[in-house]
Amino acid sequence: MATLPYATPTDDQISWRDSARDSDLLPAHLVAFLQCGVSITLGARGRNGRPVVGAGVACRVSGMANVRVFLSRRTDAAVIDAVEAGSPIAATFSRARDHRSIQLKATRAVIRPTEPDDASEAARQCALLADDLVELGYARGQADVYAFLGAEDLVSLEFRPERIFTQTPGPGAGAELPR
Amino acid sequence: MSDVDLRSLRGAMEGFCASTLCTCDEEGLPNASMISQVHWVDEEHVALSYQFFNKTRRNLLATRQACVQLFDPATLAIYRLDLDYVETRTSGALFETMKAKLAGIASHHGLEKVFRLLGADVFRVVAMEQVQAPSARPACRDATLLSAVRACVDDFSRCQDLDDLADAVLDGVVRHLGVSHAILLMAECDGRLFALGSRGYAVSGIGAEILPGEGVIGVAACEGVPIRIGHMSTDYRYGAALGAAARSAGLVAEEPRGVPFPGLGTPHSQIAVPVSAGGRVLGVLFAESDEVMRFDHECEDALVLVAVQLGATMALLQEEDAEEAPAAPVPHVAEGSGVTVRHYSRDDSVFIGHDYLIKGVAGAILWRLLREHAATGRTDFTTRELRLDRSLKLPDHAENLDARLVLLRRRLEERGACLQLVKTGRGLFRLVCRSHITLEDAGEGEAAEVA
Repeated sequence: MATLPYATPTDDQISWRDSARDSDLLPAHLVAFLQCGVSITLGARGRNGRPVVGAGVACRVSGMANVRVFLSRRTDAAVIDAVEAGSPIAATFSRARDHRSIQLKATRAVIRPTEPDDASEAARQCALLADDLVELGYARGQADVYAFLGAEDLVSLEFRPERIFTQTPGPGAGAELPR
Repeated sequence: MSDVDLRSLRGAMEGFCASTLCTCDEEGLPNASMISQVHWVDEEHVALSYQFFNKTRRNLLATRQACVQLFDPATLAIYRLDLDYVETRTSGALFETMKAKLAGIASHHGLEKVFRLLGADVFRVVAMEQVQAPSARPACRDATLLSAVRACVDDFSRCQDLDDLADAVLDGVVRHLGVSHAILLMAECDGRLFALGSRGYAVSGIGAEILPGEGVIGVAACEGVPIRIGHMSTDYRYGAALGAAARSAGLVAEEPRGVPFPGLGTPHSQIAVPVSAGGRVLGVLFAESDEVMRFDHECEDALVLVAVQLGATMALLQEEDAEEAPAAPVPHVAEGSGVTVRHYSRDDSVFIGHDYLIKGVAGAILWRLLREHAATGRTDFTTRELRLDRSLKLPDHAENLDARLVLLRRRLEERGACLQLVKTGRGLFRLVCRSHITLEDAGEGEAAEVA
């Protein structure tokens, strides 16, 4: 296990600094990362003011700026309710094999129906994550459930990231990647 | 609170995978992250590992609320818990338990240098929701575990003394609980532990020493709580600390003396359970495995029950009075070349010829018996007189004397030494010398011819 090359927060800062960007657009390497089959943790503030945690199933980025996270209406009812009540959103994307993690935050988000081809793209990303997990020692059944493979009743949670942070474990974790 | 019992979520808190966590700051902005460890504390509380002073930490201190999502790898169920912050513990049983578990998790994920436990954040669970229903049936071992524990304790009731009991517990955990590698250790009053017996290793390691706080065994004894690791961790490796400590204390210029610890080279699961009676730790029952995450919460419960009964039985057996000594012939002393037994007073270590035998209180006991034998020719002794002998500097509560005698007897037997201790009745034993023995106190260089 220890021979795998793990990512560091410094890696994130270097690749961020090196990517030429238009302030409104996300760098290509980040867009690729968000769509490569990562686990997605969602955070919101519920109607009662308490924090609510949820899990995204997959992600697509449209126009290099608009992040669309798919989630299950059944298992993520609490997050959907919070966002519909006007909650800000936090979404952390983590790659199982090297722990690279990026958190996006926005002060508002909307819930929309998914597009016709979203389900097949979501299934592709879930399958990639599940395969990674199996490689890391999960049983196939565990990996498939953990990666939400086959999740139905998807909706799309959409937002434009306002702040971006590296969450990769290590010194510098949590640092903002300035836009 | 929902009608789900928090205890039934323990499987989701084994540390199989990271859990997820959300906190909010004072303005209500959420922060989503992964958390290495959600630890089951009791029916109403969990603890989260505090490893870094980060946004999550700042939010927790500011708003005292969190929400975690857990995945049970056995049932494939997913749960969400609403938590209210209670306190942070930076020492003590809960902290040490989580620190050991985190070390295993960190090592498993290649993050041994990154993850360090700074505190155990205790939370009250205020709401619980099953996000995804169980879809797999876990291997139901609860019923067989209870029966296995019963079989272990049944064996204890047939034991006449601590010697029998040590064998019964080791055989029991192997036969009834399916443990492949087990060691029973007894505690010295200074916190060191000595192996009294083992199962599953190429060598028994009887007499091997563990320093206070060393590895899961040392921590379990110090804190009086079970310590369990599901993945290999170099932080809790045995042996290295002993040599380093001995050298730094200037005890030895040569290689540290002692019996090598018999443990597995690369254990993937370890559990150490303290054996206590009357509030004092008498020893530790240790088990390990090549398998990852071999010991779960239920296994820990089973071993704790066995250890509790072991401690109670040990205390009971030691209260028994000595019986009349049965008449037994004194063995003839073999003719032939004699052997020198050396004693080093600085740590009461005893050598037969040039070979290390034992140290500590067990070494002091042997030296005391040999000197008396040299002076008076006496061979039959009682544990009671040792308990009352102030020269041995036993602690006031010397109920672990029997364990030291068992250790000494087993070391002599295993070494095939020219000296043996033979049980002659309850609380009675005989020193048998099969060779001419010369005593030499290494500190003073005196020598006395005996036997």
